[in-house]
Amino acid sequence: MSFFGFDPTAPQQSRPNQHQQQQQPLDFEDTYKGYGDYEPEDEDFLNDETFGNNVELGNNFDFGHSGQQQQPMHAMPQQGQPGHRSYVAAAASGTVQQSHMDVAGDLKPMESLWNPNAAPAPVSAPPAHAQPAEPRVLSMEEIERNQRQMQMQPQGYPPMQGYPMGPPPPHGNFMPPPGQNYPMMPQQGQGQPQQFQQMHPMFNQQGYMVPYPGNGPPPPTHRGPPQGHAQGPNQGPPQGPPQGPPQGPPQGPSPVQQQIPQQQHVPQHVPQQMPVQPSQVPGPAPVTAPAAPTGASAAIPQMARSSSSLSQSSNERETFNNHHQRQPHQRQPRNREPLTPEEQKRLEVRHAKVEKILKHSGLMTPRDKDFITRYQLSQIVTEDPYNEDFYFQVYKIIQRGGVVGESNKGLIARAYLEHSGHRLGGRYKRADIALQRMQSQVEKAVTVAKERPLRKQEKEQSRENSNNNGASSTGSVATTQGTDGRDGVLGKISSSLNSKAPRRQLQIPTSNKTLLNSLLVNDDHATASKPTNPDALMEVTESLGNVELNQKSRVRRRSSYAFTSVDQSSVLSRSGGRKFVLSLIETVYEEVLELEANLRSGKPIDNNQLWEALHINDEMYEVCPFISMLSFDKGVKIMPRIFNFLDKEQKLKLLQTFFSELSHLNIIIISSYKTNPEPTESQLKQIDVFQTVFLKIIVSFLSSSSNFIEIMGLLLHLIKNNNVSFISTSKIGLNLITVLISRAALIRQDTNRSNLLSSPEISTWNEIYDKLFTALESKLAAVFPPKEYIQKVGVVSQNGNPNNTTSQYYDQAYIWQFLASLALSGKLNHQRIIIDEVRDQIFGTINEAEQLKEQAKAPMDSNDDSMYRREKLYQDLNLFLNVMGLVSRDGEISELK
Amino acid sequence: MLFFSFFKTLVDQEVVVQLKNDIELKGTLQSVDQFLNLKLDNISCTDEEKYPHLVSVRNIFIRGSTVRYVYLNKNMVDTNLLQDATRREAMSERK
Repeated sequence: MSFFGFDPTAPQQSRPNQHQQQQQPLDFEDTYKGYGDYEPEDEDFLNDETFGNNVELGNNFDFGHSGQQQQPMHAMPQQGQPGHRSYVAAAASGTVQQSHMDVAGDLKPMESLWNPNAAPAPVSAPPAHAQPAEPRVLSMEEIERNQRQMQMQPQGYPPMQGYPMGPPPPHGNFMPPPGQNYPMMPQQGQGQPQQFQQMHPMFNQQGYMVPYPGNGPPPPTHRGPPQGHAQGPNQGPPQGPPQGPPQGPPQGPSPVQQQIPQQQHVPQHVPQQMPVQPSQVPGPAPVTAPAAPTGASAAIPQMARSSSSLSQSSNERETFNNHHQRQPHQRQPRNREPLTPEEQKRLEVRHAKVEKILKHSGLMTPRDKDFITRYQLSQIVTEDPYNEDFYFQVYKIIQRGGVVGESNKGLIARAYLEHSGHRLGGRYKRADIALQRMQSQVEKAVTVAKERPLRKQEKEQSRENSNNNGASSTGSVATTQGTDGRDGVLGKISSSLNSKAPRRQLQIPTSNKTLLNSLLVNDDHATASKPTNPDALMEVTESLGNVELNQKSRVRRRSSYAFTSVDQSSVLSRSGGRKFVLSLIETVYEEVLELEANLRSGKPIDNNQLWEALHINDEMYEVCPFISMLSFDKGVKIMPRIFNFLDKEQKLKLLQTFFSELSHLNIIIISSYKTNPEPTESQLKQIDVFQTVFLKIIVSFLSSSSNFIEIMGLLLHLIKNNNVSFISTSKIGLNLITVLISRAALIRQDTNRSNLLSSPEISTWNEIYDKLFTALESKLAAVFPPKEYIQKVGVVSQNGNPNNTTSQYYDQAYIWQFLASLALSGKLNHQRIIIDEVRDQIFGTINEAEQLKEQAKAPMDSNDDSMYRREKLYQDLNLFLNVMGLVSRDGEISELK
Repeated sequence: MLFFSFFKTLVDQEVVVQLKNDIELKGTLQSVDQFLNLKLDNISCTDEEKYPHLVSVRNIFIRGSTVRYVYLNKNMVDTNLLQDATRREAMSERK
């Protein structure tokens, strides 16, 4: 990668004997510059990518113009013919080639870029508009006038621009040599690069056999001292002046003058080379279509050849200009109206714009652009979109309703096309081709992205090697560093910070153990700092005890009947502390995410780690951490996803644990009117979430995959370990019990028909039911929350739902459902007891319903609402009454017929 | 990549971008890149009296580092998914 070694003075060394060379055959030894002796450089294989693969090794670089410059040379033999040709013909042949190029590749320059008169549209207009819609044919005088105007304009620009401005069209073709845009190096800018550009094809095609110096532009021999080289003492800014005076006033546009003489030497070489060409052309067809226009470059040598016969005078300039006006000439047949001043003006403006753009047009070949695009894309694409681009990928799938549409790479390609403004597909509007190209770019970019981490590893490895082996591995270090160097081609790339891992504002220590410990200590401190709170005090002593008795042998004390679980923080600390529980939830999430990723990629699923993270069997803590996890919304929300990965045994075990420790469940405490007589809005929301998420799982598990014994087992766990009467005061608890016994009743009814239940099963069920009933007996009325609670909940949920103008009513259906399923499973004496206990509520409900009926009669109330509520009350009540063959209607209870 | 991934889902949605110099621009998000540079289309400035020069601007490219806030509509975000994505990001960093 040594084009910085570009030496503009190189050609001069052998220039003095150039004249000689023209007569004598070339001697390899004289002319061979020893390029082949260079040791291959580390990154030489990348040159193809940077410069195109048809450029010869050497230190005279043509940045990306090889393909395009060769085109004319191919064409020449055919047209071929030294001697005079009309410029119109030359121009025409230029277009022929141009169209040929168009076929070669879709990437086209805008026509207006190099044909100042052709495009009426502003420069920014898409290429499609480049065709002039209006009169565009000029007479010779007009052309000259235009030319002069054009040339006048550039005069006003800073010196470094003066040169490119002079003969604008060829400049579109010639990539501005590096020096040209830098005022610091005016001599190079004005003298040589252009010549290099011109000579390049020849040099290129003849390989090493034709020495560069001989072929190269030898200005001194043609121009004399004032036109000398970078090294010459007369060099530099004053180049214009020495030239100007002898040529007289019409030389205003000195750049033109300057260029033409330079071109004149070309013919001297051309004849010499022509015969050789057919056999020597290595056939390096342009790999990608050059972006820069090619017509002019084709024409230049020819023009130069013919111009050699002309004298260096103003008429030459004319022809030169004429030549550059070839586009207008082509269009002449269309229209011959002269330009109006208005058009002239517009032309000028547009021309100025074109000039600005021309300055850098063709600076990069399509290859270069592809290369950069690939690098930019490699920052965006990933091999594993579901991992690194998770949100976007999944979001799109959700949006599309689960249908995976276009591939990720296709999407990126499309997006990037729009980004880069190529979506129109260039001149021929081949949007499909543009998209294909971009897609292949994305593919390549993925490989680039893949390579990157590898290279990093390599580098580290070689570093280690060099540390270990010392000098022996320096070679490998050099290599890998060289490879790494490509990373920085488009700017500095920091090793640790990039767009994927930007600099952090906060540095959080990540070593988990120390973090957890410190948090636990903090937790203890936090509890200890509230000595006034007796519960907290108890916690401190307990956690102290925990430290001493932190053994498995420690028996968990299930304080079923004590209300110690009311305080959520105490529950949490008994299951390891709030922070511990929260980190457990996160671990569970991570496990689930990993399992889901495995599921997506079709890898085998191993849920052991997830199971361990749930701590279901963990006897270390007084309260199972799993129960504490359910105190948090996010712990509840993850449950359905956990259930996807558990087998039946695990699910059962999980539910057993759940029912055993129901009293510790925060949601039970929240939803019980006894422990939480004034629920807040957020608590009601929490209850809602739990009901919709977790109850659903339980119901689906019970109804789909559990048998009678398992249900009895779960109920037994519930009864044995919990204060059932307390649980029944909470909505969630009552729902859970209802789910269990109603499911058991359903199975019993089902199996009654087919007589599948064995008598020991039935007797066990009766036993369990008796236990449950005993626990509830005499407290059945307590399942009904008091009026204050009902009102409170109504008010809160009304606040939470401001749109609802009618007041919310506490839905007691769940209570009647519970009583109904309880009565359904019980015998007659059970039912009698139930009715006895809830008699007041039954009649209370009937009364309420009748009152509503009265209200409905009153005209001022909203009748529909009252009637609906009345219906609802009867419906709920009859749920229960129907079980016992009763029905209540219009204030009376009668036997169900 | 999380933010990049996130903003990609907002393409073609209307957002309000507040810059660090207090200019607020409302517009349709056209594209975003890995530096969180934004392209907005059909922009309108919320305080046109203060920044009259933006009245005639139709689309704009915003360098990502100059953005203070991007205001979104609530329904443009899938919070649960975002939580998952955040966890994934944290996981992949720890590895």
